Amino acid sequence: MSSVERAVGLITTNYSIRHPSALTKDRPPASVPVAGRFRMVDFALSSMSNSGMRDIGIILSNNYRSIIDHLESGKAWALDRKHGGLFLLPGSSFGTQRSGARFLLRDLVQNSQFLERTTKPYVILSAASVIINMDLVALVDEHIKSGADITVVCQKSEEDNPSLVNFTCADDGRVSGEHLGVKAGELAFLDLCVMSVDILKTLLSWYKGNDYLDLFEALTPDLGRVDVRPYLYDGIALPVFSPEAYFKNSMKLLDPKITGEIFNRNRPIHTKSHDNPPAKYIPGAQVRNTIAAGGVRIAGFVEDSILGRDVIVEEGASVRNSIIMTSCVIEAGAKVENAIIDRNNVIASRVELKGTPEDILIKGRGF
Amino acid sequence: MSKKECVAMLLAGGQGSRLGALTKSIAKPAVSFGGKYRIIDFALSNCANSEINTVGVLTQYRPYVLHSYLGTGAAWDLDEAGGGISVLPPYATESGGAWYAGTADAIYQNIGYLETQDPEYVLILSGDHLYSMDYRKMIAEHKKNNADLTVSVMQVPWEEAPRFGILTADENGQISKFTEKPAEPDSNLASMGIYVFSCDVLVKALKEDAEDPDSEHDFGNNIIPKLLAEGKRLFVYEFEGFWKDVGTIASYMETNMQLLGAEPEFNLYSKTFPIMSNEPTRPPQFIGKGAVVDDSIVSNGCLVFGDVKHSVLSTDAIVGEHAVVEDSILLPGAVVEDRARVVNAILGEHARVLEGCAFGSKDEDTSVVGDNAVVGKGDE
Repeated sequence: MSSVERAVGLITTNYSIRHPSALTKDRPPASVPVAGRFRMVDFALSSMSNSGMRDIGIILSNNYRSIIDHLESGKAWALDRKHGGLFLLPGSSFGTQRSGARFLLRDLVQNSQFLERTTKPYVILSAASVIINMDLVALVDEHIKSGADITVVCQKSEEDNPSLVNFTCADDGRVSGEHLGVKAGELAFLDLCVMSVDILKTLLSWYKGNDYLDLFEALTPDLGRVDVRPYLYDGIALPVFSPEAYFKNSMKLLDPKITGEIFNRNRPIHTKSHDNPPAKYIPGAQVRNTIAAGGVRIAGFVEDSILGRDVIVEEGASVRNSIIMTSCVIEAGAKVENAIIDRNNVIASRVELKGTPEDILIKGRGF
Repeated sequence: MSKKECVAMLLAGGQGSRLGALTKSIAKPAVSFGGKYRIIDFALSNCANSEINTVGVLTQYRPYVLHSYLGTGAAWDLDEAGGGISVLPPYATESGGAWYAGTADAIYQNIGYLETQDPEYVLILSGDHLYSMDYRKMIAEHKKNNADLTVSVMQVPWEEAPRFGILTADENGQISKFTEKPAEPDSNLASMGIYVFSCDVLVKALKEDAEDPDSEHDFGNNIIPKLLAEGKRLFVYEFEGFWKDVGTIASYMETNMQLLGAEPEFNLYSKTFPIMSNEPTRPPQFIGKGAVVDDSIVSNGCLVFGDVKHSVLSTDAIVGEHAVVEDSILLPGAVVEDRARVVNAILGEHARVLEGCAFGSKDEDTSVVGDNAVVGKGDE
């Protein structure tokens, strides 16, 4: 058994983002659609499943409808097990309002039964706000080898990001400080870490009186006695904590190199199967630099865009630099540019919806 | 309809030799079709959409891909306790074992399965036809006529009738005559190879047929004539809609191409009668900066950097930069490398046309390479 198969997973979805938009009005950030057919939670779940993990708990947010609909029995991730498998765990109502805390202590304490019942020695904790496809075997191996209490997955941030957690390290490499918000070049926490189940249980017993805090907030004064070490991830990690980041990072998937790594064919990102028909390009369609999901039918013009399942672009319609989500219809003559159109919208003929590259227009879901 | 009123028996064991290279290593019903489907999806989806939840699938030739594709039947919502899909390959008994010697023999050897399920009616289907059909209507017709056997038929052009099994029926639809490939047809109602039998009539006929040393054990050639001779009540059920046998390279090609265009006769996009498949999870297709895709079907996992015109690209097919794919079908995982040219051709699963090479021509019959084949400089 590889080391990672001795770990259970715990994925948190019970948090909000700092700048909520129409995209997260009716759904948690974890179920925001990505690349036409995925949802954010697929990346953490698939990384765990592909690494061999078959015991994974998901801490749900209060607005859990879309995420439960998506996860079903966990079958897509081989988590519909007789033993172990997928556990849907209730989150606290407080979590949904809390934007900084991805590992809210109250959620972890309330679900400590999940940790009590497991016979596995390690737990991998993850949020669901990073587009990533990571092999977790090396992470757990490194954690065991180093003897650290907690190993946190980090990456040097390419830019300032007020939503990511920054870790500062002492000369011995151990984490010595933590705060919300990173500057370009600093170490950013990818909301993914591994520790032993026993250590997590101990930490929860220490901090249960301050359960309105995030685990790592609570931990800061104790970094002298808890050995936290960073694990530098050099693969692609695209954090999504704002509509701007969502748009920009989604568009990065139009780069074949980036999309090739995220959707690595040997380690596929899994998702709920809707079994849509293939996409149809009707005579006269013009499509360039575009990701298109199943069931799409295009007779018009599409460039630099991402089309979700069952999107219809009628003859004479045009879509540029936009994300169009599931079941939208762009009617003949309509124009969409620099926009995110959430699902089930009909953009009527002659309507023009245009944002600018700096200020993306967002249209909330149709119904 | 109560759930065990009807059991479907799906004949999926044929080699499909007329599909040549495409069925070299997999059974015809498992051959990829229409981008993301396999041919058997259409019959299985019809069963699911008709609320027939018990389906025996008779397999024989090269069954591995077909068996693994069927899995538990969950892809068609056919994983139910007490029903669902049962895969029925030939088997050995204490007195030896035998291959299925014909369509009727295949069902005969599985009479035990039918007796266990104990349905009122048995629906016999082929795994190699493209059509959407609500079998409930046909079964209702069968009951209304108090029939022993109902044969689904469709009108074909008179000049094509000599290619089919032709049924002659009176104004009430009662069959008086069956002629296989008649030179001078007196009817243009062609059998679609879809039968509803009353189960007891079927079981008795199969048992008697098995004893007949001169029988080919075929439904069309033996069972139907036998029941007619016995004066049983045989009726036609006239189907109106799109139905195609995809048994030859030419009809396979033509039927795939008929899925193209703005409003094809066969609708893959129905929400009320959906075509289901056991799809792998693949990322959405990516159409590159320099790509042109016109009048085509493109599936999940495809990467297109070149020109694709009037073609069907199956799951994970790749078209390189400055490559051309025209009037062609790329089966799952087929690759057309940079600057290669594929015209009027079918590339088997994971087949590959190497960089700068050409395959197929407008002026000849459709060119076909089998699964995993490589087309290089010398093979053009």
